[in-house]
Amino acid sequence: MSAAPVLFEDFQPGAVMGECVEVYDAQQARRWQAIFGSRPEDGANGASEGASMAVINMMRAYLNVVTPRPPGNVHARQQLRLRNVPQCGESIRVTVQCTHKEMRRERRYVDLQVSGTGQGGRTLFDGVISLIWAA
Amino acid sequence: MSMQTATELHTVSLTVTEEVIRAYAELTNDFNPIHLDAEFAAKTPMGRPIAHGTLSLCLIWQCLERNFGAEVLADLDLQVRFIQPVYVGDVITACCQATEAAPDQHKVSVHGQDGSKRIVGTVTLNASHPLEQGDKA
Repeated sequence: MSAAPVLFEDFQPGAVMGECVEVYDAQQARRWQAIFGSRPEDGANGASEGASMAVINMMRAYLNVVTPRPPGNVHARQQLRLRNVPQCGESIRVTVQCTHKEMRRERRYVDLQVSGTGQGGRTLFDGVISLIWAA
Repeated sequence: MSMQTATELHTVSLTVTEEVIRAYAELTNDFNPIHLDAEFAAKTPMGRPIAHGTLSLCLIWQCLERNFGAEVLADLDLQVRFIQPVYVGDVITACCQATEAAPDQHKVSVHGQDGSKRIVGTVTLNASHPLEQGDKA
């Protein structure tokens, strides 16, 4: 039996929803390079790939923590403060907190604060994912 | 790095195919049917499958690195709005442009092959150590 999806009414602004650890590993690097390029000038094995991994693992963490979700959610806005670029092989601990929700023009808006730390607790990023929730 | 005018800045482009969207779904573990299921997407206001919003952010990072160097990605603040969807077949291009608001603040955008903006926003480089007016970069 599958669990009920997280609905708009379930979000509690101020509540920490959970945390998880993601790893920027060689498989993620290969997949990124297959899409965005594998040359040094593409940022492969470098800063562009690493900054992308901050965003990718931020999303993976949100999807792992806020689950299951109703189908059809849409990413509306993104704020991100990037303070260090993740390195290949680095574990990234991400916490997810609901900070705001509101109905606007019959749309359900949800803000999720995400904060990521890397090896030794070094600050990597924090930001706000703003979503239009489907149900 | 010497100052460049907006017209000299490098852009970065990507052709968005079903394979690209599928590969990005596997990378992010985001299998929302709005990205992957044409039948589902047809019933939404989007009308057909759309690319993940953050896929386009990766192009913005590449654009910033090419224009300002790798080190700027380690200290920046970004705010963007995903104002129009990116569809299969779109060729999207990431751009950045200096603003007059602050020496390290730039407009960033991703537009489609028809010139329509899909993402708009701002990025502030050296965000935790802002340059004062007159400081050397």
